[in-house]
Amino acid sequence: MNAIEIRNLKKNFGIKRALSDLDLTVPEGSIYGLIGENGCGKTTTEKIICGLLGADGGSVKLFGKSHTDEETRAKIGALIEAPGCFPNLSVWNNMMIQADNLGIENAEEEVVKILKTVRMEGAAGNKYKNCSLGMKQRIGIAMALLGNPELLILDEPLNGLDADGMRIMREILTDLTQKGECSVLISSHILGELEKIATHYGIMRNGKIIREMTARELEENCRTYVAVRAGDMSQTKTLLELRYMHTDESEDGYLRVYDAFSPEDVVSYLYKNGITVTEIKSDKIGLEEYYIDLMSEVSK
Amino acid sequence: MMLKRNLCSNRFGTMMKADFRRMFKSRLFYIMTAICIVMPILIIVMTSMMAGSVTVDPQTGAETVIEGMDNVWQIIGSVAQSESTDMNSAAMNMSITSMCNINMLYFLIAVFVCIFVSDDFRSGYAKNIFSVRSKKTDYVFSKTLVGFVGGAFMLVAFFVGSFIGGSISGLSFEMTGFGIMGLFFCMASKIVLVPMFASLHLCMSVIGKQKLWLSMLLSLCTTMFLFMTVSMVTPLNSTVIHFVMCVAGSIGLSFVLGATGNKILKSTALA
Repeated sequence: MNAIEIRNLKKNFGIKRALSDLDLTVPEGSIYGLIGENGCGKTTTEKIICGLLGADGGSVKLFGKSHTDEETRAKIGALIEAPGCFPNLSVWNNMMIQADNLGIENAEEEVVKILKTVRMEGAAGNKYKNCSLGMKQRIGIAMALLGNPELLILDEPLNGLDADGMRIMREILTDLTQKGECSVLISSHILGELEKIATHYGIMRNGKIIREMTARELEENCRTYVAVRAGDMSQTKTLLELRYMHTDESEDGYLRVYDAFSPEDVVSYLYKNGITVTEIKSDKIGLEEYYIDLMSEVSK
Repeated sequence: MMLKRNLCSNRFGTMMKADFRRMFKSRLFYIMTAICIVMPILIIVMTSMMAGSVTVDPQTGAETVIEGMDNVWQIIGSVAQSESTDMNSAAMNMSITSMCNINMLYFLIAVFVCIFVSDDFRSGYAKNIFSVRSKKTDYVFSKTLVGFVGGAFMLVAFFVGSFIGGSISGLSFEMTGFGIMGLFFCMASKIVLVPMFASLHLCMSVIGKQKLWLSMLLSLCTTMFLFMTVSMVTPLNSTVIHFVMCVAGSIGLSFVLGATGNKILKSTALA
C-alpha cells in the first residue's frame, strides 16, 4: 500500500495555477524527497495533504483512504513552514500542549524522550521566542515526531540546522523508516543532505511532478566522470576533446571526462602528450547536478 | 507510546485539555483576570471620591454635580421595575454609573477570545491542530468552552473586585429592590450569556484569522449591538425565569454562531 497517493491534483490561487494535474506516489516505508524551485508548489501540495488547504480537483489518498478521513489524519506528523509554537510559552509547555492535542497518555515521559532525541532537553525551560532558528527547527521536528506518526510530512526541516542537527535528523528518519514504522515526505533545497537519506525522489516544476524515481534509478542516471587538473589547462582541454566525446569544465576548475574507462587511461594519454597531471579524481554526478541539468534541459 | 483511540469524545477531550493548559499557562488570562479585579475597584473608588464635586462650564457657567454610586450593586446592574422602565434605566440612561458596569466585560471577553484564537493562526498552532484532525467542530466547541470558562472567571473576578472596591470606599452593600437570590441569578445569567459572546467572537476571529485587528474590530462592533441587551435580560432582581431564558438564548445562538464559524473554517485556507 502507498502511504500517499495523489492523482490529478489541481489548485488555483485566483488566476494563478499552483498545481496542475499533479501525480505523486509515496510508497510505505520510504523517504520521499520532494524537490523543486521556489514557488513550484511543494508547500501547497503538503498543505493539501495535511488538510490545511482545499484542492480544486483530483484525489489525495493516505494509506488507501481519503486524506479527510479522521482516523487516517491522526497518523500524520507534520512540520509545515515553521513550527506552530506559542512564542511566550516555554518549549516544554509548547510540547505538552501538542502532546495533549494528540492525546498522548504518558505525555511527560514522551516529551522528555523526544526532546532528548533532538538534543533539546537542556532548553526545555526556555521560552520559545528566545530559541535560535536551529533550535526552533529541532523543536518543530520534535513536535512532528510526537505520537509515533506513521506518516511524516516535513517542509524544509533542514533549514537552519547545524551539522549535528542534520546528522540527528538523518539518523531519526533513517531509523524510523528502516523499522518500517513510518513513511516520510520531505521537501528540501539542501540536496546534498536529502541525497543521503531519500529512497525516492519527485522533482517538481510549475505545479507538476516532472520526474519521479527511486534512489537506485537516480544512481543509474547519474554519470561517473574523471576530473583532471593539469599545468596547462587549455592544452589539456584541447587534447581531451580530441580523444573523448563528452568533456566539459566544472565550476571548481576541473576538466571532466565522462566517457573515460578509468583515471589511469586519462593520465597515461595526457602524459604521452607531454601534459603533467597535477590532480585527478573519479566521481559521480550528485542529485544537485542532476537536478540542475534536468531543470536546464526542461527550460530548453 | 500510548495514543488514545480516535473517538469523538477523546478528540474533543484532548483538544480541550490542550486549550485549557494553554489558557492557564498564558499571561493573557491572568492579565485579563487582574484587569477585571482592578477595574471595579478603580471605578468605585474614583466615583466615590468624585461624588458631590461640582464642575462649572466656563462658557455657560452651568454647574454640574458629579453623581457617585448609591451602593456597590449599581456596578453589577440595575433593578428592573418593569420591562419598559428597565430598558429606560439601563439602556437609555448614559450616566457614568450605568455605563461603567460589569457589562463592559463583554468587550474584554471579545479581546480575550480574539487574542486567544488569533494566536492559534499567528503562531502556526492551527496547523498542528488541523493537520492531525479534519473535523472543525472540535475546534469550535473547544474554543467556545475556553472562552466561556475564561469569561466566567473574568465576571467572577469583577464581582470580587466590586466587593473589594466597595469595602475600600465604604460604599453601601444594601440591597434595595432585590434579594440575594436575585443577585445570584443576575450573575448566573450574565455568566451563561458568555458562551454566546464567545462563539460570536470565535466566529469573527476565524474570519480574521492571523489578522488580529480585523477580528477585534468585528468582535467589538458586534458586541456594541449586543451588550446593552445584557443589562435588560440580567437585572439585579433576576429570577430563575431570567436564568432559563438566558441559558436557552445563549445555547441557541451559540449553536448558530458555532455552525457559522465551523463553515468558515471548512471553506477557507487554514494556513
